[in-house]
Amino acid sequence: MRSIIRDRAVVADAWRYAGEAGEGPEVLSLDAFLASAAGASSAAGTAVILQPTDEPEKLIPYLAQLALVVIDFPKVGEGRGFSQAQLLRQRCGYRGELRARGALKRDQLFFLARCGFDSFDLDPTEDLAASLAAFSTFTAAYQRAVDGALPLQSR
Amino acid sequence: MYQYDSIDRTLVNERVAQFRDQTQRFLRGELSEDEFRPLRLRNGLYIQKHAPMLRVAIPYGLLSSKQLRMLAHIARTYDRDFGHFTTRQNIQYNWPKLEQVPDILADLASVEMHAIQTSGNCIRNTTSDHLAGVAADEVCDPRPWCELIRQWSTFHPEFTYLPRKFKIAVSAAARDRAAVAVHDIGLHIERSASGEISFRVLVGGGLGRQPILGREIRSGVQPADLLAYLEAILRVYNRYGRRDNIHKARIKILVKALGATEFARQVDAEYEANRAFAPRVEAAEIARLQAFFRTQPYAALKDIDVLAGADAPFAAWYRHNTVAHRQSGYRAVFVSLKKPGVAPGDMTSAQMEGVAALAERFSFGEVRVTHDQNLVLADVPQHELRTVHAELSALGLATPNIGTINDMICCPGLDFCGLANATSIPVAAQINERFDDLDYLYDLGQIQIKMSGCMNACGHHHVGHIGILGVDKHGEEWYQITLGGSATNDASLGEVIGPSVAKANVANTIARILDVYVEQRQSAEESFLQTVRRLGIEPFKERVYA
Repeated sequence: MRSIIRDRAVVADAWRYAGEAGEGPEVLSLDAFLASAAGASSAAGTAVILQPTDEPEKLIPYLAQLALVVIDFPKVGEGRGFSQAQLLRQRCGYRGELRARGALKRDQLFFLARCGFDSFDLDPTEDLAASLAAFSTFTAAYQRAVDGALPLQSR
Repeated sequence: MYQYDSIDRTLVNERVAQFRDQTQRFLRGELSEDEFRPLRLRNGLYIQKHAPMLRVAIPYGLLSSKQLRMLAHIARTYDRDFGHFTTRQNIQYNWPKLEQVPDILADLASVEMHAIQTSGNCIRNTTSDHLAGVAADEVCDPRPWCELIRQWSTFHPEFTYLPRKFKIAVSAAARDRAAVAVHDIGLHIERSASGEISFRVLVGGGLGRQPILGREIRSGVQPADLLAYLEAILRVYNRYGRRDNIHKARIKILVKALGATEFARQVDAEYEANRAFAPRVEAAEIARLQAFFRTQPYAALKDIDVLAGADAPFAAWYRHNTVAHRQSGYRAVFVSLKKPGVAPGDMTSAQMEGVAALAERFSFGEVRVTHDQNLVLADVPQHELRTVHAELSALGLATPNIGTINDMICCPGLDFCGLANATSIPVAAQINERFDDLDYLYDLGQIQIKMSGCMNACGHHHVGHIGILGVDKHGEEWYQITLGGSATNDASLGEVIGPSVAKANVANTIARILDVYVEQRQSAEESFLQTVRRLGIEPFKERVYA
């Protein structure tokens, strides 16, 4: 079973991505989720994965059903997920688990967390236990973000 | 100038620690080259032809004497005793060792400097007018706003992995000295009849492979809303800018694809939708920043007849390398980094220390870096000008050529750069040698030559009155010439005059172009650019290819 970081601890992942073998409920693509959500609006506890071009606003009608939103970072340097996360947390008001997955290492954790991610499925080569320190890379911030840190204008 | 508080200091120190850890992990093999590249780039570190190149930010071009001394120390300790000032008010070191870069960053942090976001696909150093705060034609000092943008853009969590690099420039003067139209975002600060300031916003300017001038998408942005509006632009770009092709990833391509009107509509929609979450610039915060940029404590001096009894070298330097100041009895002095035989923008450690000392003695301990790769001592009392001239002459920094064709903008070119197709520095030297008669240069008046060693256009060749672009033809260096570009209020892109010319013929080609100008100008007052605009490129083309 895969290990992930959730709420700043290394834990086992209960979910299974589309196409993966094994136990656990499946994380649906946005299209698959929207197709199923339209049919069965009561399916609570589902999970969806957004690709970089997916519009997070499409999830607004279904937020109560969602237990997990995964945002995929398929390549090193992919940055759309940071905006998707801020939109989900702020404009959409999503409160459930928000996971960053893909070509990510500890070097992105600080910024991902500021944008509202609380779970992280990093590159398999990354040392997760050693990565936890990266959440405190910086102890201050100039901007307002999802994490509610001190914005510069409040100095 | 701005002084760090504990928050600023903490952040820069934490960045040094972070980069030290990243460098060690890379050297131990825990980060691949692909993973390390974006991390080192956002600390200004390129891997170049001969060695890494480190680009250090000089926010809006302002340096204290102490900081300039540290730049000298770094050049001497970690490099080959010189640094290169760039067109974006940064300094580059061409020979540092990767393992030593964390130490360099720590040295920089000790004088409130850094290399944060000087490269990589993120928001770069915010640039501005090198005469900010002393220019007679400005509506306010743009630097507090630049500092606000510097802080907001530093480690912005949402915009650290943009499709491509992102450059912001700010001008608050009637005459644009910051090349605002060729930036991803260009801000003009304007003042209404009632005295309120607001921002006029240009988006999508840039040079490189597809040169294009920025389009105005909004005016009248209120100070309180500035960062909210910038965030809306950046968010639209981050979400919809192309990422499939590095050559089509700048915001200019998105603006062009959507059209400026549709792009502006999307930005406005994002701005409205995000009101509840967007940053608001508090009046108290901007007042706090403005307090760092108060007018200097000028002495009550009267204007004097500086040229009375002056010798010819001083008079030439005074006329060409100093400009009027809005404070009586003072003058702003350009320190020419364009001495013939020296690569444009290069400066030795000893020269940096010499200028730092002059700034302390005569210009309130501050130095500015210009977009044209010179330095400025902005507040020199007129009665000290002869001393300053003598000392700058001794340092080799008083060549009286500011604004002449020998005051070229030039990238490092193939001598240093891994991207270049052709050399720039030897061509600059060739032009310097060809045009060594100062009286001829003065007769020609204001002519900007801008030269790039490849189409990435670090030397801004598209917006030179004369632009020179190095190209590779079957392994040989050739040079394409453009005429009629401008980077200021009347910004325009130069027009290619025809096939590129061989390296040995660049200066001769320029000479033919200048001959046409001298023959055809309607008066001594008609500038080269005006003549080119009046005549078009045909007469120049005919002469060059005759």
